[in-house]
Amino acid sequence: MTQPTVEVRNVAKSFGATQALRGVSFAFQPGEIFALVGANGAGKSTLIKIICGYYEDYEGEIRIDGQVAHFASPQDAFRQGIRTVHQIIDQGIVPTMSVAENLALNDLLDPASGVRYRRSLIRERAEAIAEPLELQIADWDQPVSELPQSERQLISIARSLVGQPKLLILDEPTSSLSTREADRLFEKLDQLRQRGVAIVYVSHRLHEVERLADRAGVIRDGLKSADLLRPIRSQDLVEAMVGELETEQVKPSAPKKQGSVRLELRDLVVQPGSPPLNLKLRGGEIAGITGLIGAGKSELAEVLYGIRTPVSGTVLLDGHPLQPASIADAIDQGIHLVPEDRSNRAVIPQFSVNHNLSLPFLRAFSQLAVLRPRREQAEAERMVRNLGVKCSGIEAAISSLSGGNQQKVVVARWLQKRYRVLLLDEPFQGVDIKSRHDIIHYLREQLQDEVVLVLAADLDEVLEIADRVLVLNHGRLMGEQDRDALNRPQLLEWISTTTLIDTHA
Amino acid sequence: MPENSQTSQRDLKQFAIRYGFLIVLFALYGLFSVLEPAFLTWSNQFSILLGIAIYGILALGVTFTLVVDGLDLSIGSVAALSVMISSYCMVILEQGAVVSILICLALGAFVGLCNGLLIVKMKVPDLLTTLGMMFLIQGIQLIPSAGRTISEGMIMENGEEALGFFDYSFLYLGQGRLFGTIPIPVIVMLVIALLVYIVLDHTRWGRVMYAIGGNPEAARLAGAPVNTYRIMAYVISGTIASIGGILLVARVGVGDITSGTGLLLDAVGAALIGFAVFGVRRPNPFGTLVGAIFIGMLLNGLTMLSLPYYTQDFIKGTVLVLSLMFTFALAKRS
Repeated sequence: MTQPTVEVRNVAKSFGATQALRGVSFAFQPGEIFALVGANGAGKSTLIKIICGYYEDYEGEIRIDGQVAHFASPQDAFRQGIRTVHQIIDQGIVPTMSVAENLALNDLLDPASGVRYRRSLIRERAEAIAEPLELQIADWDQPVSELPQSERQLISIARSLVGQPKLLILDEPTSSLSTREADRLFEKLDQLRQRGVAIVYVSHRLHEVERLADRAGVIRDGLKSADLLRPIRSQDLVEAMVGELETEQVKPSAPKKQGSVRLELRDLVVQPGSPPLNLKLRGGEIAGITGLIGAGKSELAEVLYGIRTPVSGTVLLDGHPLQPASIADAIDQGIHLVPEDRSNRAVIPQFSVNHNLSLPFLRAFSQLAVLRPRREQAEAERMVRNLGVKCSGIEAAISSLSGGNQQKVVVARWLQKRYRVLLLDEPFQGVDIKSRHDIIHYLREQLQDEVVLVLAADLDEVLEIADRVLVLNHGRLMGEQDRDALNRPQLLEWISTTTLIDTHA
Repeated sequence: MPENSQTSQRDLKQFAIRYGFLIVLFALYGLFSVLEPAFLTWSNQFSILLGIAIYGILALGVTFTLVVDGLDLSIGSVAALSVMISSYCMVILEQGAVVSILICLALGAFVGLCNGLLIVKMKVPDLLTTLGMMFLIQGIQLIPSAGRTISEGMIMENGEEALGFFDYSFLYLGQGRLFGTIPIPVIVMLVIALLVYIVLDHTRWGRVMYAIGGNPEAARLAGAPVNTYRIMAYVISGTIASIGGILLVARVGVGDITSGTGLLLDAVGAALIGFAVFGVRRPNPFGTLVGAIFIGMLLNGLTMLSLPYYTQDFIKGTVLVLSLMFTFALAKRS
């Protein structure tokens, strides 16, 4: 076996109380396309950032050609041969400059190169840089802003190949390309592979991975969960991304109370082009919807919460059409949402635990707009106790709590008042097991005849909390299963099937 | 042992962050009192407060925009506009005080509404919006009087004499003293400070404003009408700025075309210095008031010690920069 060009060994990294990576090892071989796969928040981007020199403090080591390497900065990593082409194509080019200038940009910026403003030299450099990728350039003086996305990206890739790159990292390279443009990119990647470049390909489009990759590494929850060799099947990838983990399962603490249907979707078209959804949710049940990124989970939550207007169809709550005019209206009607991405979308970092809890229900804690602090504090004390939030008191700054405890506060925020429908979007991202169990336990305990809908990409997480699992795949409801009668391969099949994919529509 | 000294060091730092600013304030107060006995007289205390009243009021208004993570740079020119419009109404249009005041307040609110709509609906960055509005209004205020200062009995463009006047009750707002001692503008400032404190710290409106300043997306998902609140912050800021302008005319009894100069920087400075008070690192009405008093006291004391007037802006700038360094650098490391 050849020596890997670049290797990461036991790389770990934490941010405050959250462990993003917990010791991951991968080897990138020359002439191999390595696909890096994982759900949102699994640790993919943290690993990439470490490899391209954004973080200096991490555990473990990176080796280049067998030697331990240290990067002081992304520029340093670049010099040592780590080349990254970022997801946002326009970050890699200067739109107002010409094709030739963009290709020769590094030389233009380097006074020692002598290229500077001499057009003939710039052109000469640009041709040399375009050559390995066999780019067909019609007009070297055309501003890059007039070119399609794929051309811009290839220019950016060509530039990153200057010198002797050890590793080329492509982060979601097809996310803004059309199908044909993506095919063009794949051809170029094949050429590069033949030339012996080691490539890391980050994508959540599994059919691309199936087609392109020689090897696929899957990260889940900060750990390597699979390292697969060609032929790669998307079902195996999904299994590794969201499938079975040896976690301690929570037993449902209360028997299922099957109530009557309270929330019903009738031919609901969430976004243009997606198929109509039909779904009935009963009071007293916790339903889980799972599916990969882009399956349409968050969009469905947005419709129910009044942020997104559906294309067509109806939502019925207790038999009456539900059409919240605003978020405030949705809350008034008893729709509560625990949003995905706690730190950006839920927590007010400067506020105390107490003030974070009361935020949506300030009206209930005030008389003539004047807040009544005792009422507010008593309620906060009650919720902190109910969920076992670990903090030095309700006046503690929320930012002083661990991630899991912050999430308890966010969930408690929406459980303190009666609700009719509770939506939990990725409620367990970056939440430790103990906190997860506490949250699930309390959720079950207080549940009477309300509807609880959990949306999560991780199948195990959904199975941990839900009585019933529904699978969304590209906006389509693939099927549902009761937790008591699970058929896991069938679920994975529903999650991973790519036959109906409308690629890059 | 090292652990102990570390904790005590941290405690010391916490103490410095929280009370450092107030300690400096009182120390300077003591120093001036010793060096210059006239500093400590009652009449001098009121003259300090009177000196800060106008920009203190503006600073309380701008605090609202800082709370929602914005900044209103148009307050100085709104106050100046209010000076010119109220003078024009009373002296040239021969209107009464009440009508003139109401027109000014409405104008201030309208300017704030325009600011808010530009920022929220058209997504123009707040600094640029209010900077643009500042220039616009500086231009507008010159137009009614054709660029001249408005005073009673002035000869107008067409050669007629202006017959209107500032009536006694109006001038009382700027020149009167309650019980013969406390200047009315000081009382207005304190009342506004109290109201702002109640609104920001004890009502749900204030809580929501702070939430928007902290994380607008989280506030929105918790049901707060974020845009409405942000527009309201600018409306309040504009309205309060026009109150400042009205008091300014009432104090000098002339619609001085240059009266707005310097108000903006003093007001924004006071509000920003307020971040340092109690080390809260956020805009707050009490801090704003203390910031204004700090600047006023410092200038008053230094002037008594015969500091040349042209160094005043330098002193104010130094205090502002030092307190910002103190607030952000020191608190960040803790």
